[in-house]
Amino acid sequence: MVADPLSLGRLRSRYQDDFTQLRQNFERTGDGSAAIRRRSQIVGALLCELWGHLVPGSAHTEMALIATGGFGRRELFPCSDVDVLFLCANEKVEPAFGDSIRACIQAMWDVGLRASPATRTLKECERVHPDNLEFTVSLLDRRFLAGSRALYSKFETDLLPVVILREWDTIVQNLAEMARARHAKYGNTIFHVEPNVKECPGGLRDYHLAQWLTLLNSMREEKAWPRAAADDFYGTHDEPESAYDFLSAVRCFLHYRAGRDDNTLDWHAQDEAAARSIGLETRGTSDPAYWMRTWYRQARTVYRRASLLIDAVPPPRRSFYKQFRRKRTPVPGTDFFLEDGRLDLAEGAAVHDGDSILQIFGLIAKHGYRLSHSTEDRIADALPVLAVQMPEGPFLWSCLRDVLLGPWAAHALRTMHALGILELLIPEFHGIDALVIRDTWHRYTVDEHTFHVIDNVHRLRQPQHDWEKRLAGLLPELDRPDLFFLALLMHDTGKARRNGGHASASVELSESLFARLELDADEREAVRRVIHNHLEMSAAMRRDIFDNETVRAFAEKVTTPSQLKMLTLMTYADIGAVSPEALTPWKAESLWQLYMSASNFLDRSVDEIRYRAAADPAFFSRITALIPAMSSGPAPQGRTAIPAPVPTDELRGFLEGLPQRYLNTRSPEQIAAQFRLAQALRDQPVQLAFRSLRQLSEVTLVTPDRPGLFADMAGVLSAWGMNIVKADAFSNAAGIIVDTFQFTDTYRTLELNTSEVDRFVQSIRDALTHKVSVEQLMRSRNHKPTRPRVAVDTRLEFDNDASSHSTLLQIVTQDTPGLLREIALSFTAARCNIAVALIDTEGEAAIDVFYLTKGGQKLDDAAQASLSASLVHRLAQLRP
Amino acid sequence: MQKIEAVIQPSKLDAVKDALLEAGIEGMTILEARGHGRQKGHTEFYRGREYTVDLLPKIKIELVVRDEMAEQAIQAIVSSARTGKIGDGKIFVSKVDDAIRIRNDERGPSAL
Repeated sequence: MVADPLSLGRLRSRYQDDFTQLRQNFERTGDGSAAIRRRSQIVGALLCELWGHLVPGSAHTEMALIATGGFGRRELFPCSDVDVLFLCANEKVEPAFGDSIRACIQAMWDVGLRASPATRTLKECERVHPDNLEFTVSLLDRRFLAGSRALYSKFETDLLPVVILREWDTIVQNLAEMARARHAKYGNTIFHVEPNVKECPGGLRDYHLAQWLTLLNSMREEKAWPRAAADDFYGTHDEPESAYDFLSAVRCFLHYRAGRDDNTLDWHAQDEAAARSIGLETRGTSDPAYWMRTWYRQARTVYRRASLLIDAVPPPRRSFYKQFRRKRTPVPGTDFFLEDGRLDLAEGAAVHDGDSILQIFGLIAKHGYRLSHSTEDRIADALPVLAVQMPEGPFLWSCLRDVLLGPWAAHALRTMHALGILELLIPEFHGIDALVIRDTWHRYTVDEHTFHVIDNVHRLRQPQHDWEKRLAGLLPELDRPDLFFLALLMHDTGKARRNGGHASASVELSESLFARLELDADEREAVRRVIHNHLEMSAAMRRDIFDNETVRAFAEKVTTPSQLKMLTLMTYADIGAVSPEALTPWKAESLWQLYMSASNFLDRSVDEIRYRAAADPAFFSRITALIPAMSSGPAPQGRTAIPAPVPTDELRGFLEGLPQRYLNTRSPEQIAAQFRLAQALRDQPVQLAFRSLRQLSEVTLVTPDRPGLFADMAGVLSAWGMNIVKADAFSNAAGIIVDTFQFTDTYRTLELNTSEVDRFVQSIRDALTHKVSVEQLMRSRNHKPTRPRVAVDTRLEFDNDASSHSTLLQIVTQDTPGLLREIALSFTAARCNIAVALIDTEGEAAIDVFYLTKGGQKLDDAAQASLSASLVHRLAQLRP
Repeated sequence: MQKIEAVIQPSKLDAVKDALLEAGIEGMTILEARGHGRQKGHTEFYRGREYTVDLLPKIKIELVVRDEMAEQAIQAIVSSARTGKIGDGKIFVSKVDDAIRIRNDERGPSAL
């Protein structure tokens, strides 16, 4: 039967009118969900009318017209194909009524619909073809339109559930596999500058995938079509616009805009969508960056849910290892279980213990576990209760540190962020939630960029390229990696304030976090400086990095090697987190070059740049303000003690001539404390201060300089079995030295016997005041050196240009017990004075920099040669 | 039409881009490059190891302009990239037979 042209013309005209009316309604209301439901209704009625005209009555008991796919879901986007199934009772029906079927399909095209038909017998629907899984999946969204209800009922009630349950594994695994391939095609990220609203991760395909997997899981439980509606997926509970409504509105907008099935949200489309507030609750005009922020929030919700459901799909074959992983293991001290790499909350367990929840994220950061989607839902639901349970202070910092230092830190932080936990702990982070920096090179929103930065640093633990290997060497040298990662987490929070430089704003926002974590003054300052300076290295890289002036200006902003290392790693990670293409080998090479130049400048300018109170009175005032007023003695009864005036002349004398490096590497409180030691020299000529750091111990020596002092100090420490890791030695214009040694307690002498600390300090004092012979001490405690794992050749480098009045000597050699003493004894034997010493260790290599004078002058060639020979000989003797 | 290829110091990129924009030239391609002419490489000693950079980082700018704009473009590059030191770079000029706009198949100078 062929369609009557007049009827077709009428239908076409009516459909065009309806389409125009639909568009006008959409443009007035912006309601995409309503538009696609209404189009489904219109097309459904039209197809029924065509069926009535074109399919003879005798076929009505043998065939059924069924809507499938989007049409079956009542989601017919403006320019989408219309998916229909002509279901035939048996193989005789199709040949008998083939002309009618073809007439229907042709009529659909003539009316203006893009038909996507399929014809199957009931028997054919029993088979599932892995190569054509789309057809089977489209049947999950089937809906009767016309024809035999009995046939349809048989198909829906008897056949389809049996087929689906029988082929459940195949369907689910193939769905997951197709989704993974699609996600991989789009880089496994929702962050695209011009996303595809249908296919991209977080788009409509993922939404439907989540619906299908939810439906299939329900079917497996109930062994039938689920009683409850399967379309119960929504975004987060308190989101004003549901993800689906937003995505639907965007896709409708794109279809109407292009006049075809175009789903790419390109730059100009974003501008227009924002101007019309597409998908937003409030109508009017919005900023494109704000509008895209909504897009990313919705896409993140959809992608997360789809990813969790994909992740929960059982794999096709289980290896023994995977069977082992499948074993349900309780996590001690919590109500969580670990199964198959996923953390599940025990049935009936209440989610109200903020401490346990935080510890779980530490586990996630350490091992890369995921939470099951049901557990995520329960945590998200319990947020109001958790909000009043969250800890502060040292425990919070301890938990946060565990998260930040774990190799899967970014993954843990993303999970915390998705659940709202991160913003409970760090409300300052809210401002950058899905914040868009709308340009063609920032790929990610600011929060996602932050997670990438953290991830980029952790990835250096397994470097791939040469330039990564060099940078990776800096990671173990960080004094406080926990503070460094905290700085990374907060470094861009200031972007939420769109006025002026975000670095300063980020510092301001971090202050309240410091207070909640109860960080001490040194810790806060360390984090502040990294955040404040985090753009300086990128700025320097835009200048001539081989120009001494560029290096000097940059190094003077950085001030210390410790800050330089953190900034270098941060800049590397920050550039790499702008977009996958941002960090080229070219840029990485330039970054390393600038790091080396700045590091050398910092080491080679130490002796040259010294403090002069007259030149920097502001700093002097800061230190003066910290000197506590000293009491002149016990107060008379009933009277308040009158504090003595601050001894500014003495303080000036102490600071004058000290290298600027000393002032840059000590907090004002430390400087004030060391000044007090200097003041006490009149009573006791050797002043010592001992303190325990995180994994090191530290001794500071303040005393008048004398020949052999450094060697004696190094000898005493060696005699006690202390391995000097870092040290610096400075002297002021008055000849008072301030030497600080950081060491590991190789034999745990002080750690296991805290009462030994006093004896240790007294032993140093006795050795330095010659009450005890250092040689005797060393002989009495003869520690045998262990064989090194890596051989380090000895290299000596003299430089008479680094300083105007001393010779720089850099020694790189095998780190062995007693090394520093032997080096210092060589200096003493050669009558060289140490003006400055900078001692560092990198693995098994000792890297020591000394500024030397002989008779108050630089070392001439002969003196250098003689000293060099002596050092080479002594160091060779030391090797195990 | 003429193709202008300029190898410049990376630190001069922003200045050259601004100068070209001011001269009314908007289209250009920027490439990260390495190279040297008479300028020697750079050696840095770091922790006892020698790091030698023979091929120094450079930026290469490529643009195609109408014949009458070529000299203006060259002058814009020269005036903004010059420091007077060895290593400032070089500019190369060659003829272009045709230019085609991919979007709409437009050809010739109007496709620029």
